[in-house]
Amino acid sequence: MLNYIWAGLIIFSLVFALASDFRDIAKDTYRNGDALEVALTFPEGFDSTRRRLPVDVRLTSDGLRQFYGTDVVVDSVLSGTIVQTADGRQLRFAQDVALPEPLATIRQVTSPRDNDLRGALVGFAAPAAGSVVTSASVAFGEVRFVKMNAISAAALDFAETAVTLALGLIGALALWMGLLKIAEESGMLQGIVRFTQPVIRRLFPEIPKDHPALGMIVLNLSANMLGLGNAATPLGLKAMEELQKLNPSKDTATNSMVMLLALNTASVQIVPPVLLVAIMGLQINQLMVAIFLVTLLSGVTAVTMAWLFGRMKRYRATDPANLVNQVEG
Amino acid sequence: METLRTFVDVISVFVLPAIIVGFPLYGLLKKVPVYEVFVDGAKEGFNVAVTIIPYLVAILFAIGMFRASGALDFLIDGLRPIVGLVGIPAEVIPMGIIRPLTGSGSAAVVLDMINQFGEDSILVKMAATMFGSTETTFYVIAVYFGAANIRKTRHAVPVGLIADFAAFIFAIIIVQLLFG
Repeated sequence: MLNYIWAGLIIFSLVFALASDFRDIAKDTYRNGDALEVALTFPEGFDSTRRRLPVDVRLTSDGLRQFYGTDVVVDSVLSGTIVQTADGRQLRFAQDVALPEPLATIRQVTSPRDNDLRGALVGFAAPAAGSVVTSASVAFGEVRFVKMNAISAAALDFAETAVTLALGLIGALALWMGLLKIAEESGMLQGIVRFTQPVIRRLFPEIPKDHPALGMIVLNLSANMLGLGNAATPLGLKAMEELQKLNPSKDTATNSMVMLLALNTASVQIVPPVLLVAIMGLQINQLMVAIFLVTLLSGVTAVTMAWLFGRMKRYRATDPANLVNQVEG
Repeated sequence: METLRTFVDVISVFVLPAIIVGFPLYGLLKKVPVYEVFVDGAKEGFNVAVTIIPYLVAILFAIGMFRASGALDFLIDGLRPIVGLVGIPAEVIPMGIIRPLTGSGSAAVVLDMINQFGEDSILVKMAATMFGSTETTFYVIAVYFGAANIRKTRHAVPVGLIADFAAFIFAIIIVQLLFG
């Protein structure tokens, strides 16, 4: 199933990106090569011979609607600079100003580093003496294949993020694996196993009695319930490693592994996760009961589903435990 | 409610130090050479992190591309009219779709909704409850199975997604019952 979902995500990204880029070309969303008319207001007493002129640029909602066909509701006045360059005058909007679409996208594509929208000024004449207002047209850089570029950039970005995330786990992993080793050597883990296995082995019947994996699972689930994400992940990974030791197959998940995963994706939350507490502030007090009840119900659903699916013919055929029996029989 | 909250707060504050100090202390009492054993176990941390990398890269880049292509917005817009028919508020759809895919993305959705509807809104409560009740399923699958080098995940994905869907529905019902 993961094969299909994974390939589906990638293929659909390409299809959607292509469709949206061709729609942009067909509708001429970015009006490549055409110039947008803007009203320019200079400060009192400006000197039109200077190489850089500060200016206020007025974008009217009617102008934008006529030119780009977008529904912009409000007019905006943005500050910018007119710069005399070798190729004529250029209008540069101030960095990071709020721009209506599609100007924001044009800026993102044509000036990603400085984040200032730039365009060549066409038909500019300095205001007549005594006036500070004039109008001119501005032609922005050409924008094509926005989404195609975006998906390749995103693929590389997220590949990097994945490595950063994984390496960021090293510290927490080392800490918890060290502590767990102590717990194992001191007999503490075995104590936890003996104490909790009557309950926990019902969910994981494949794990032999008194096996340390049971202890890791208990610790993982408790950390998860208490909202201790940083501790829960290393403990869960350690539990997964222990389960892998019991797995006769190298690359196929056992029923116990799927059960552990189900319990982790839908774990009962007594304390909400730290990130949510940070976002919601005091509001979280009201939500604790709701979250507890929801996770209780979804946890039961997850366990039931993991159990039922494991029994389905389709998944029973791929169960590593059964594969071994077949080979021996 | 306030005392319950304080009680839970105290527990979550004390659990970590209790374990971090308790494990070595217990080991010491049992005459385990705690420092040596700790270092021996901690060595594994690096290997596990490195083992996860290919799995995490595979999942995250595909999700990143999907988000960047605009397909997600298309999916959400497409679902809006359908869910309206069964009485699910359309505003919480983005949360339901994004939650299993990315953790940071769904945190952004909650923040967006707070800006749009205000903290007290029942829609925000639903979204926040969904956020707190489910995990980033695809991330968990990549990391957990990555650590054990499992490539064939069998029923893990359908079970995880059904659990997410269940949490989505239960969150709407329970928030409606408690605050509606």
